[in-house]
Amino acid sequence: MSAADPAVLLRLSGLSKRFGGLQAISDVSLDLPAGLITTLVGPNGAGKTTLFNMITGHLAPTAGTVYWLGKPLAGLAPWRIARRGVARSFQDLRLFTHMSVLQNVTTVLERGSWLWQRPIDRGRIEAVLRETGLWDKRDERAADLAYAERKFLSLARIMVRDATLWLLDEPASGLDPRSFERFVALLRDYAARGVTICIIEHNLDLVTQLSDRLAFLDQGKLLACGDPAVILKDPQLAAIYFGERA
Amino acid sequence: MLFIQLFVNGIQTGALYALIAAGFSLIFGTTRVFHVAHGATFTLAGFVFYELYTVLAWAWPLAALAAGAAAALFGMLVDRYVYAAIQRHEAAFFTVFVASFGIAIVVQNLITIGFGRGLVTVPTPLSKSVELLPGLYVAPMAAVAVLCAALAFGVLQWLLTRTSLGLALRALGENLALVRVYGLTPRRLSQYVFLIGSLLAVPAAILTAATSGLNPAMGHHVMLISIAATIVGGVGSLRGAAVAGLLLGMAENLSLAWIDPQWSEAVTFVVLFLFILFRPGGVFGRAVAS
Amino acid sequence: MLAYLQNIAVLFCVNAMLAVTLNFIMGYAGIFSLAHAIFFGVGAYTAANIAMHFSDSLFWCVAGAMLAAAVLSMALALPALRVRGEYFVAASLGLQVIGVTVFSEWKGVTGGLGGLVGIPPPTLFGHALTTPGEFLALAVAGLAAVLLVTTALLRGSFGRSLMAIRDSESAAQAAGKWVAAIKTLSVAVSAGLAAVAGAIYAFYMSFVNVEGFMLETSILLMAMVIIGGTGTVFGPIIGAALLMLLPAALTYLPFLPPAELGTVQQIVYGAIMVLLMMYRPGGLVGGRRKAGQA
Repeated sequence: MSAADPAVLLRLSGLSKRFGGLQAISDVSLDLPAGLITTLVGPNGAGKTTLFNMITGHLAPTAGTVYWLGKPLAGLAPWRIARRGVARSFQDLRLFTHMSVLQNVTTVLERGSWLWQRPIDRGRIEAVLRETGLWDKRDERAADLAYAERKFLSLARIMVRDATLWLLDEPASGLDPRSFERFVALLRDYAARGVTICIIEHNLDLVTQLSDRLAFLDQGKLLACGDPAVILKDPQLAAIYFGERA
Repeated sequence: MLFIQLFVNGIQTGALYALIAAGFSLIFGTTRVFHVAHGATFTLAGFVFYELYTVLAWAWPLAALAAGAAAALFGMLVDRYVYAAIQRHEAAFFTVFVASFGIAIVVQNLITIGFGRGLVTVPTPLSKSVELLPGLYVAPMAAVAVLCAALAFGVLQWLLTRTSLGLALRALGENLALVRVYGLTPRRLSQYVFLIGSLLAVPAAILTAATSGLNPAMGHHVMLISIAATIVGGVGSLRGAAVAGLLLGMAENLSLAWIDPQWSEAVTFVVLFLFILFRPGGVFGRAVAS
Repeated sequence: MLAYLQNIAVLFCVNAMLAVTLNFIMGYAGIFSLAHAIFFGVGAYTAANIAMHFSDSLFWCVAGAMLAAAVLSMALALPALRVRGEYFVAASLGLQVIGVTVFSEWKGVTGGLGGLVGIPPPTLFGHALTTPGEFLALAVAGLAAVLLVTTALLRGSFGRSLMAIRDSESAAQAAGKWVAAIKTLSVAVSAGLAAVAGAIYAFYMSFVNVEGFMLETSILLMAMVIIGGTGTVFGPIIGAALLMLLPAALTYLPFLPPAELGTVQQIVYGAIMVLLMMYRPGGLVGGRRKAGQA
C-alpha cells in the first residue's frame, strides 16, 4: 500500500528515536488501517508511549516519518496535529483536576485562542457524559472523582470530539470487572461508528476481546504485527512478554 | 586604551559574576528551587565582612571566615526551615519562588535598617589602582578577584568529580534513586548544595566590597545576574553559568565604550532576551522541552 | 477629611485594578510577571502624551494606552512563553529593568527623571473631569470595568482554556489548544487593562514620573495578589486594601522611627509572603489551595 492509500489512516515509516545514548525506538514501520482497533503490546519500557508521543507531536523523531492520510506530519505542533483529528489519552490521565467534569469535557471542544466562540453542542456533551455514567457527577471536581470515574472522564474527553484516530495509553488499567465491561462496550461502539483506535495495553482480556490487529513492540523494535490470534500463540513472543512479567 | 581598560574591568567583574552565578546554578540545577534569596546571601556576606573587618577591625581572614559561615548558615537554614516545609505539602515551583522572594525582601530591608541605604566601602591596601600603562588603571584586587575565582572553580571541579559527595550531588539532579546509593538522603544533600552554593557567593561579596563597595539593594542586581547567567549558560550546566557570568560581566563593561552607564544593566537583559529568542537552551544547556 | 478619603479611594481603585489584572495571569494562567509596573507606566505615559499633544478625549487616551501596553506585552510574551515558566519570570524582570531605564532616559516622551507635568484633564463627552468627585467616579468605573472584563473572560471559554493549560499543558495541547497563543493573549489582556489604571492615575495626579513604576512597585503588586489570594475574584482586591492600609497602620506603632516606615513595610509584607507560602499558599482568601491555582 502506498502512503496515500485511503484505507491507511496513519502510517509510521522507519521511525526512530534516540535520547542521548539510548535508542528508544528503532526503525518502526506500522500502518493503522482506518476503522480498525490495533493494540500495541510489549513489556514495560518497550517504547510504546514514546511511539505515541511521536505521533502526537510531543516528541520529534530522530529519523523516519509519520504520515497522516498520506501527508507527512513533520514538525507540526501537538495542537495542530490534534486538530487534524488525532485524540490521545495519557497513562497518568492528566485530567484538568481543578475543573469540574462538565468543564473538562466542554473545554476540549473550545478553541481557546479566540475570545469569541462558536456555539458548543451541549447535547453532544450530555450524551457523552451519560454514556460514560458521569452526567450525575458533572459538577464535581475532577480531582474528587473515584478511580474508575476518572478513567471514564479521560475517555469522555476524547469521545466528545470529532476525532478520527484515538490513541489510548493503558485506558482500562486497574478497572474493576463491571467498569471494564462498560469500557470495552464503549470502545466497541465507537469503533463500529468508524473511529480508528490504537490502544496500548497490558491487559490480555482487553487485547483478545477488542483487537482487530496486534502490534508487538520490544526494546524499541517492532517484532510482529498482524492477526492477534496468531501472534498470541507464538511461543517466542509469549516468552518475552511473560518473561518480563515474572 | 579605553577598550583595554574596559576589557580588564570586564574580566574582574566577570570573574565575580561567574562565582555568583555558579552558586545559583548549582542550587537551581540540583534542587530545582528558584533560590532568588541568593542575592540576599551575597548581601549578607558582604555586610558581615564589612562590619567585622572595617568597623570592628578584625583580621581579614577571620572576617572572611565569619562571612562565609554567615552565608552558609543562612542558605542552609532557609532550605531547612522554609523550602523543606513548603516542599512537604506541595512542590509548586512558584510557591517556593515567592517564599524565596519574600525572604530576600526581608533580609534586604533588615540590612537597610542596620546600615542605611548608602554605599559602604571596604578600603584595603590592595584596593588602590595602579597605573600599569598610560591610561590603564588596575587595582591589585582585580588580580586577586580573578585568582580567587579560578581557585574556587578548581576546588568546585575537584569536589564534583572526585568526591562521592560531588557525585551524589550530580546524581540528585538526574536520578533521585541513585542518591541513596551514596548513603545520603535528598534532604541531606539539599543542605550540602545550599552550603556550597551559598559559599560561592562569599568571595564575590568580599571582593565587591573591596573594589566597588556595597549597598543593601545590590541583592536585586546579583539575583538578576544569577538568573540571566543561568539561562544564558544553559539550565543545569554549572560550567555554562560560570562562562555566562564571565560573558555578562565583560559585556556590561565593554558596552560602556558605546553607551551611557545607566544602560549597562539593560545590556545584560538584551543578551538574555536574545538567548531566549534564539537559543533558549543556552550555550551549554540541554534542549528545552516546550 | 473628605478630600483625604477621596484620595485614598482613588488610589485604592488604581491599585485594585493593577492587582486584579496581575492576578489574571498569575492566578489563572500560572504566569508570574515582575514587569506589571512597567505596563502601568506605559499606560500612564501614553495617555499623558496623547492628552498633551493630540487629544484630551478620555476615549482616545485610554485606547492608546491599552494598545501600547498590549503590543509591548506581546513582544515580551511571544518568545518567553514558548519555553518554561522560569524564563518568563526572568524575561519580565529584564523588561522591568530596561523599562525603568527607558522611562528615566527618554526625555522627549517621558520627561526623563523629572517626569511629565501639567497633564491636562481628560474630557468625556465634551466635559472636562476636574473635581475629586469626578475622578473618584472615574476610578470606580475603571475598577468595575476591569472586574467585568476579567470575570467575563474567566467564566467563559477563555478562562477554561487558561485553567486547562495550568492543570496540564500537555493534555491541553493534545486537546487542540494553541497554548502559546492563549498565554500570549492573557498577558496582552492583563497589560492592556493595567494600562487603563495607568491612564487614570496619570490624569488624577496630572503628573507622572518613573518613581511609581519601579521594581518595588512590581514587587508590591505581586505581594498584593499573593497575600490576598491568587485565583480568586476578591483576593487581589483585599490584598490591595490591606497593603495600602499597612503604612497607615504602621504609623500607629510608636516604636518605629518614621523615616524607616517604607523599610519596615517591606519587611512586614515580605515576612507575610513567606509565612503564607509555608502555611496557606492560596493567600488570605484562597486558603489551602496552591499559589497560582484557582
